[in-house]
Amino acid sequence: MLGSGDALPAADLIARIARGDEAAFGQLYDAYAGLAFGLIRRILREKEAAEEVLQEVFWQVWREAASFDPGRGTPEAWLVMRAKTRAIDKLRSIRRREQTFVAPVDEGVTRGSDARMDDPALAAEDRTLVEGVLAHLPAAQRRVIELSFFEGLTQSEIAQQLGEPIGTVKTRARLGLERLRGIVKAKGSPAP
Amino acid sequence: MNREQISDLAAAYALGSLEGAERERFEALLREGDPDAVTTLREHQEAVVALAELHREEPPPAVRSALMDRIAAEGTARTAPRAVARPSAPPRPRRSVWPAVWAGAMAAGIAAIVVGLVVSSGYERRLAQLSQDAAALRQELDRQQAVVAILRDPATQMVALAGQPASPEARGRMLWHATAGGLFVTAGLPAPPAGKTYQLWAIAGQNPPVSAGTFMVDAKGTGSLRVPPLSGIARVDVFAVTLEPAGGLPAPSGAMYLVGKS
Repeated sequence: MLGSGDALPAADLIARIARGDEAAFGQLYDAYAGLAFGLIRRILREKEAAEEVLQEVFWQVWREAASFDPGRGTPEAWLVMRAKTRAIDKLRSIRRREQTFVAPVDEGVTRGSDARMDDPALAAEDRTLVEGVLAHLPAAQRRVIELSFFEGLTQSEIAQQLGEPIGTVKTRARLGLERLRGIVKAKGSPAP
Repeated sequence: MNREQISDLAAAYALGSLEGAERERFEALLREGDPDAVTTLREHQEAVVALAELHREEPPPAVRSALMDRIAAEGTARTAPRAVARPSAPPRPRRSVWPAVWAGAMAAGIAAIVVGLVVSSGYERRLAQLSQDAAALRQELDRQQAVVAILRDPATQMVALAGQPASPEARGRMLWHATAGGLFVTAGLPAPPAGKTYQLWAIAGQNPPVSAGTFMVDAKGTGSLRVPPLSGIARVDVFAVTLEPAGGLPAPSGAMYLVGKS
């Protein structure tokens, strides 16, 4: 997995990008664009919107590399969080637009179905891999993680939506992530 | 707080779902270098990155080339006018933001000429690159034209933003056009601490604030932001600037630095 021991020195690349090093930016992009894009597509589904968001995320990386603070975690997590935030912003603006201009919100556009429509083979492979890992989580923990990470809800919003006390939501998020990390570690690299 | 409670905060922080006072409390722990906060955050982030990693999908190459073009165009626009503009810069910076607008417009003009020259000499040297360069130039010109169009249109509103207790010295101006978007310029803002960025918000009526983008300021505290039209919002009543974690948030959480009513 990227980010462990012998991985690319992403933090060094970010420091070089902050000094305007285009080659370093190219390297960082090549290493992590797939990570960011996959997450953005998982959140947005729409391919064109996802490409637009990906470009914005890396444009921000170029402009704001100096704001990376290793005290708040790894470069991968920094990038993943930026991708998530931007994708959720976009998802909300798409939903707002649909609520304003389209009478029934087309669930197929914003939520998508479980499958990636343009590549059934990829979809099948993707489902197996993801479900293989997430299936090990109790449904309640999985739901909290999905709502925070893929739907962008805050913990109080999740508590409200599930009708659970916020303390329960907190515990489920923690236990879910602990479990997820355990599974991934046991399986070795999840990347194809 | 015991380790478990800290780990609860770290999990929510890693998922991006920690908000308000709890978020501030956790960030304070990180700043102090609290070992439980640092370790549990790292572990939860590992899980979150692994979760994203499960969905890895390589984007089409067009995204990469568009980004590289954008960076190249920005580099030309950024370095060229600086050398020309500097010797005539006034010895004392003035408070008004209008000089920044006009300097920006002038710099943009010069930049467009420079980009043009680069493209035309490139035409002879490297025909293969021409279409790429032209695309970058077109994009840059479109951007500049959009800004000029906003400045010219009588329907454009000008909103003055005043500094708040966090930054009484700061000033801002928003040139806003409902269908064309806007141009925001500001002066006198303090440099944001590491990991933070300024975020501009648009508020229409009783609706929750909508992000209009994030921006950074230079050493003098000046910054600008081109804001695309906000879908579904015809009229903005209030513009405000808050300090937020890098990358911005879907809803404001930090202190307010500037605010102005249209």
